[in-house]
Amino acid sequence: MSESFGDLAGVIATPRPRRGRRRRSLPPFLVLAALVPTVLIALPIIYVLIRSADAGWSGIAAELFRQRTLMLFWNTSVLTFSVTILALLIGVAGAWCTERSDLPGRALWRILFCLPLAMPAFVASFAWKSIGPAFQGMPGAILILSMESFPLVFLPVAAALRSMDPGPEEVSRSLGQGPRATFLKVIVPRALPAAGGGALLVTAHMLSEFGALSLLRVQTLTTAIFQQYELQFDNASAAVLSALLMLFCLPVAFGEIYLRGSQRRDKVGRSAVRSRRMAQLGVWTLPALAFFALIAVISLGVPFGRLGYWLLRGVSAGRGLEAIGPALWGSLSLAIPGTFVTTLVALPLVLVALRGGGRVARLAERLPYIVHGLPGLVVALALVYASIRLLPAVYQTRAVLFAAYAILFMPLAQSALRASAELVSPEMEDVARTLGRGAFAAFVSVTLPALAPGFGAGLALVALELMRELTATLILAPTGVATLATEVWSLTSDGAYAAAAPFAAALVLISGLPVYIFTLRTLDPRGRRVRKSRQRS
Amino acid sequence: MYPATRRAFLRGAALGGAALIGGPALVTGGVRPARAAGATLAVYNGQHRPPVEALIAAFSAATGIDVSVRHGSSAQLASQLIEEGDHSPADLFWSEESPSLFALSEKGLLAPLQSDTLGAVPAEYSAKDGTWIGATARCRVVVYNKAAVDPKALPASVLDFASEAYADKVAFAPASGAFQQQIMAVMILKGRDTALAWLKGLKRYGRVYNSDSAAVEAVEGGDIPIALSNNYYWHALAREIGADDVQSAIYNIGHGDPGTLITVSGAGVLKTARNAEAAQRFVAYMVSAEGQAAIVGAIAEYPLRPGVVSPFPLTPFDTLDPAPVTPNQLGDAEAALALLREAELA
Repeated sequence: MSESFGDLAGVIATPRPRRGRRRRSLPPFLVLAALVPTVLIALPIIYVLIRSADAGWSGIAAELFRQRTLMLFWNTSVLTFSVTILALLIGVAGAWCTERSDLPGRALWRILFCLPLAMPAFVASFAWKSIGPAFQGMPGAILILSMESFPLVFLPVAAALRSMDPGPEEVSRSLGQGPRATFLKVIVPRALPAAGGGALLVTAHMLSEFGALSLLRVQTLTTAIFQQYELQFDNASAAVLSALLMLFCLPVAFGEIYLRGSQRRDKVGRSAVRSRRMAQLGVWTLPALAFFALIAVISLGVPFGRLGYWLLRGVSAGRGLEAIGPALWGSLSLAIPGTFVTTLVALPLVLVALRGGGRVARLAERLPYIVHGLPGLVVALALVYASIRLLPAVYQTRAVLFAAYAILFMPLAQSALRASAELVSPEMEDVARTLGRGAFAAFVSVTLPALAPGFGAGLALVALELMRELTATLILAPTGVATLATEVWSLTSDGAYAAAAPFAAALVLISGLPVYIFTLRTLDPRGRRVRKSRQRS
Repeated sequence: MYPATRRAFLRGAALGGAALIGGPALVTGGVRPARAAGATLAVYNGQHRPPVEALIAAFSAATGIDVSVRHGSSAQLASQLIEEGDHSPADLFWSEESPSLFALSEKGLLAPLQSDTLGAVPAEYSAKDGTWIGATARCRVVVYNKAAVDPKALPASVLDFASEAYADKVAFAPASGAFQQQIMAVMILKGRDTALAWLKGLKRYGRVYNSDSAAVEAVEGGDIPIALSNNYYWHALAREIGADDVQSAIYNIGHGDPGTLITVSGAGVLKTARNAEAAQRFVAYMVSAEGQAAIVGAIAEYPLRPGVVSPFPLTPFDTLDPAPVTPNQLGDAEAALALLREAELA
């Protein structure tokens, strides 16, 4: 009981300060392994700097202070800000209703609110655009992209609400706080890291989104970088715009640190699942149901409906169907190994930073978050540049493409790994060492297995992103390798919508699996044990 | 118990992961450099896929030579080839537009083509130094919505669209290579100042689309009455929708105005080609009677080899009366890019 009070005091007053970790010497293999991601991440940054330098100071200044650059800067800000806020509102409201209220059909709504994750933004945009011009331009883009990205907020918030120990809430109520005060002072602060983490993910997506915005005729820094690349025989102005885009990513990178600092850490063995009273919606039941139905129709009904329409009609239907097998294989054979590579590359970075590798390690751990908002195109160009000059033998092999995937999506793996790595006490490894294991053996036999639960959600999210990755794949894939995403893209850019539809449908279907795993892992991170304890009770 | 199973799981996952990474690599020779692929002809392709796929199928059937294709936009692939330099795995570059080929030729990356090949099409559509050849021609046209526009009321020059009378009525795609060639034509025929004023007018009164095909679709859907486009986008759309249901039509301005401009798609062989002989054969096949028939059966472009007929309902080539500008005059179209930047369109 006294512990509950302690908890409550900590939560109500100020976020608990980070538990200091004792600084210890790092095993050399870990430091060496951490060099790999650091070098990879440095590549696009160096490339952007070299290419910007080609423009010279006056060239950079001229590019930065053009009217057009201002317009792009403004559009990027408006889009990113609006979509993030909308996704946050819809995601948090949805999560609260499905986890904490007596809304009818909560299980169904929970599924429907996760499914938009399986719909790539450029497929959804194509579906909307084919309805009419009203959905093109900035307002349409904000609507459509919010609708496809709110699950990134909904899921972690729902998970946080679900796994929250009801103790502090009960105590708060028993101390005479009303439901509103309890919500604001107890629930909100503890759900904030989850909501913030999701919102930052949405922000990073908006900064690097290309396909959807190109279809919806919205010009942002990222679409302009693509346009420069299409137009150019020099890359300098694309490079200057990329550098500007990286500045946008800085708040994302450091926002994540801030949110994490305020996060309360779970203890492994806590039995948090207890029945709790659901809020009565009362007269708000109907409006809430209408809200959920509306979101489901906009985020799922329209895109899936249009996809079905194009599956059934059009002269190009059936064209190139024999390519669906190779494209499916292409997607899987790139996304699955790519996911493992990305996670493996991210792991040492997380561990070194967690074990007090000092300022350099912490900066190295931040760099991927800054690069995460860069379009795949820039990363791909950097790898073309570097591999041709330094390692021509690997150029246009899968190795280079996997490196690009790791550079682009490392933060997703990092966040998941970090969450579970924080639960592993380094003392466990020390114990293994005193029992005679070497540093590496102790790491493999003690730390790695303890990290495993965090892998699920992270891996699934990375796999999902890799399956729909377009621009880096287009440039770096071995000649002749196509994926579902590249096929959809090339067919829709030729106007063969009916031919593109089966590929898009296949892409949505195979995205369903990582979405399922991600959803399950996020909502129920310790699924097995919870089920067991339910059986017991 | 728990950690033990977890360790077992991890071991399994690690093995599975290794198999997944290694498996495809073994099957497809993944980690080997692409250029070691032997006798397979490596094509970098910036042209639309249907004609390329049709020609490759016919070529492989006729010669037994395997072809692997890397798709992309022409300008992008040209940049990539320049970046790759001596290390390029490509044998042949098939470009949607001549400026990309021109740029590669200027950089000294293209080998001369065989004279028999060059002789198959009129000389004005190929490089003066014989390093690239025009295979098919396309035409800049005006696409209009039949319900919204009376074609008789359309202007006598494409320059007239950059005026208040056409405010919010004209769709154009400044990022498309073909539009840049049109800018070059305006500049060559009317002077730089006129071209810049035209672009500024279009920026002010027109509506920017990301591609010609998006602009044509917008006209078909009734979003906007007029689009500046290449001819074959409309034909592709009409084929997809069905000729009876199509809501838009093509208008040719003609009488030497830059609104009707002939541009070419074509190909060149890389100096660094490892399969130079096969590449030369491929280009020869492109402009053979069979090859041309395969190409123009799949896209509504004009065959440049005399005597080949397109199955599409094209405006006859000799009645177009296009702007008197050749692909060689268009050059690498860099001047158009400078104008686009000056007009704040890029």
